[in-house]
Amino acid sequence: MILELKDIEKSFGPKKVLTGVSFKAESGKAFGLLGRNGAGKTTSIRILMDVFPADSGAVLMDGAPIDYNKVKLGYLPEERGLYPKKIIIDQLVYFAELKGMRYRDAVRSIDYWLDRLGMTEYRNKKLDTLSKGNQQKIQLITALAHDPHIVILDEPFSGLDPVNAMLLKDVVKEQIAKGKIVLFSSHQMNYIEEFCDSIAILHNGKVVLNGDLRDIKRNYTRDRLVVRTENPKLLLKDLGESCTEGENGDLIIKLAADTEKKSMMRHIIESYEIDEIKVLEPSLNDIFVEYAGDSAKEVQA
Amino acid sequence: MNQFSKILKFELKYYFKNKIFVGITIFLVVLIAIVMCFPRFKSLFDKEDPAGIGTSEELEIMYLMTDNSMTTAEADQLEMYREAFSAAFSNYDVQIFDGETEELKNQIIAGNAASGLVMKSPTEYTYYVNSLSLYDMNTQIADEVLQHLYRVNVMMENGMTQEQVEEVMSVQIIGHAESLMGKDQAQNFFYTYIMIFALYMVILLYGQMVSTNVATEKSSRAMEVLITSAKPTSMMFGKVLASCLAGLLQLIAVFGSAVIFYNINIDYWGNNAIVESVFNIPPQLLIYMLIFFVLGFLIYAFLFGAIGSTATKLEDINTSTMPLIFLFIIAFMVVMYSMASGEIDNILMKVCSFIPFTSPMAMFTRIAMSTVPIYEIVISISILVGSVIGVGILSAKIYRVGVLLYGTTPKFSAIVKALWKA
Repeated sequence: MILELKDIEKSFGPKKVLTGVSFKAESGKAFGLLGRNGAGKTTSIRILMDVFPADSGAVLMDGAPIDYNKVKLGYLPEERGLYPKKIIIDQLVYFAELKGMRYRDAVRSIDYWLDRLGMTEYRNKKLDTLSKGNQQKIQLITALAHDPHIVILDEPFSGLDPVNAMLLKDVVKEQIAKGKIVLFSSHQMNYIEEFCDSIAILHNGKVVLNGDLRDIKRNYTRDRLVVRTENPKLLLKDLGESCTEGENGDLIIKLAADTEKKSMMRHIIESYEIDEIKVLEPSLNDIFVEYAGDSAKEVQA
Repeated sequence: MNQFSKILKFELKYYFKNKIFVGITIFLVVLIAIVMCFPRFKSLFDKEDPAGIGTSEELEIMYLMTDNSMTTAEADQLEMYREAFSAAFSNYDVQIFDGETEELKNQIIAGNAASGLVMKSPTEYTYYVNSLSLYDMNTQIADEVLQHLYRVNVMMENGMTQEQVEEVMSVQIIGHAESLMGKDQAQNFFYTYIMIFALYMVILLYGQMVSTNVATEKSSRAMEVLITSAKPTSMMFGKVLASCLAGLLQLIAVFGSAVIFYNINIDYWGNNAIVESVFNIPPQLLIYMLIFFVLGFLIYAFLFGAIGSTATKLEDINTSTMPLIFLFIIAFMVVMYSMASGEIDNILMKVCSFIPFTSPMAMFTRIAMSTVPIYEIVISISILVGSVIGVGILSAKIYRVGVLLYGTTPKFSAIVKALWKA
C-alpha cells in the first residue's frame, strides 16, 4: 500500500498553513515527517485523518482517493490526554468501539496490548492514578488496539524512560514488520534515523526536502573534514576561521568547496602530526537544521 | 449511526456513574416522598397529642369591656355584645372584663388573655393585642359584628319586629356560576408553574453539564483522539441526547415518585384544590409538556455544547455561557410575568411562542392556560423542530472548529469565519 498526500493546500483565515504539500509513505516502512513547531505537521496529519478537509489537493491510497470506511487509522497525538477520571479499560474499549470494533474483539485486543506493555495491573484503575509514562503507554493502546493500516505517531518517545523507549521501539519495529504504514513525527532525530527509510521536512508549510534518507545523505554536500590530533592549537591557528573545535575535541574543517577535499586532506597529513582524518558524514540533525533552521534554504522549484 | 449509539451509551453511563447526579436524584426523590407523606405524619402526631383527643380544648381568652365614655344604657347591653362576639369568634373564649383599661392591658401583656376589646360607643372600640399577626382578621370581624348589631338596634328602635329585622339582615343574593368559555387559569396556574420551573431548572443544569463535559474533554486533550475517531455530528448529537435522556429520567423519577406517594397518601391530603389540580394534569397536556421539554432542552443543550467546545479552560465556561443564560432567563421572565398578570395571550407571548428559543416555555404556557388554535401549535412546533435540527448541525460545525482551537477563547467573528470555511 502506498499512502500519498498530493498538492495539499490549507489556509486558516488569512493564514496559509500548507502550500503544495506532497509526500508518499509505503507499507512495511516507516516515514518521518519532520519540521519545527508550527511548520504544518499536525495540520498535515489532521488532513490525512480527515479531521478537516484540505482546500485543495488529495489524500490517495494506492493512487485512488482514500476510503476512510475501509482504511483504519491509529493516532498517537503529540498532545496526550484521555479521560483522567475514567476507568482505563472502559475508555480503551470506548475508543476501540468508536473505531468500529465489536465489544468482544475490543476487550480481547486491549487485554493483549495491556499485557504486551506490562500494564495489566492497571486495567481497572482510573487513568489519573498512573504515572505520566504509563499514561502514555495507555494512550499508545488507543492508537494500536484496533489494528490500524496506518499508524501515526506524533512524538512517540517524548517522556518515556529508556526502558519504555526500548519497549516502544520493539512495538514500532513489529508494526513495520507487519506491513503497516508507520508515520513518525518527531524532533528526536536519532529515532527518525533509526527507524525511517524516507523522510519529508516541512518548513513554513512547504516540503523543503523529501525522499529516501540514504539518498538524501549521499547527495548531501560532504564539505567538512574531521581531524583528531594531539595538538589542535596549531591547526586552529593556521587554518583560521574555517577550522572549529567540535564537542568531543575533534577539529572540524569547513572546505570552501566539495572538490578541495583531496588536496586539503593531503595538505593536513603532510604538514601536521595527526591521529585520524575523515570526511564528516552528515547527520539528520545537520540536514534538518540546514533545511528548517532560521537561515534555511529557499525551496527549489 | 453505530458510532452515535456508542457515544450515547458511553455518555449515559457517565451520568449514571456520576455520584453527584445519582445523589441529587435520590435526594429529590426522598424529599418528594417526605413532602407527600407529610399529612400522614401530621395526623400521627395529632393522635399522640392527649389534648387533641378530647373536645374540651382550651380556647384563648378575649376580654370585652366598656370604658367610661359609654352611657349606662349602652353599657347594660354588654352581655348582648359578648354573645354576639362569642358567636363570631369561635376560636376565642370571650369574657367580660371587670376593671380598668390599664389592668386589661397588663393581663394581655402577661399572657393571661390573647386580646381585648374596649368599647367606647356602639360604633367605636379599641383592639388590644400583644403582637399583631399579618393575618389577624379580628378587627374586621369585630367591625362586622358591631355594624350588624347597630343596624339591628336602629331597625328595632324604628318599630320593626325581630322577624322582619332577621329577614332583612339575612337576605341572600343568588349568584350565577360563571360559565367557562376557555380555561380556568386559576386551576391551571399551579401545574403550569411547576412545569415551567422544572423546564427552567433542568435546561440550566444540564446545559451547563453538557458545556462542562465538552470543555473537560478539550482541556484533558481526550478530544485529540476523539475527533480523529468519531464524526463531530455523532459526538454532538450523542452527548446532547444522552444528557436529554438523563434529564428526562431524572424528571420522571422525581415526578413519578410524587405521583406514587400522593396516591399512597391520598386520603390524608383531603380536598385541597391546588394539590388536586397538580395531580390531575390532562394527559394531552403531558404530551405537549414532553414535546416542548425535549425540543427546548435540545436547542439549548446544543448551544451549550458548542460554547463548551470554544472554551480552552473550564473557568472560561461561566463567562462564555452568560449570553445564552441571559437569553433563557429573559424567556423565563416573560412567561412568568405573563402568567402572573393573567394576560397569557398578550402580544409579547404570542410573538415569543413562535421564536424557537422562547417558544418551548411561551407556547406551552399558552396551551396550558389559554386556548390556542391547533394550527398555531403546529406552526410553533414545526419552527422549533426545524430550528433544533439547524442548531444541532451548526453546533456540530462549531464543535469541530472549536475543539481544535487552543489559546484564548476565539472571538465570535473568528468562529463565524471558520464556519464559513468549513
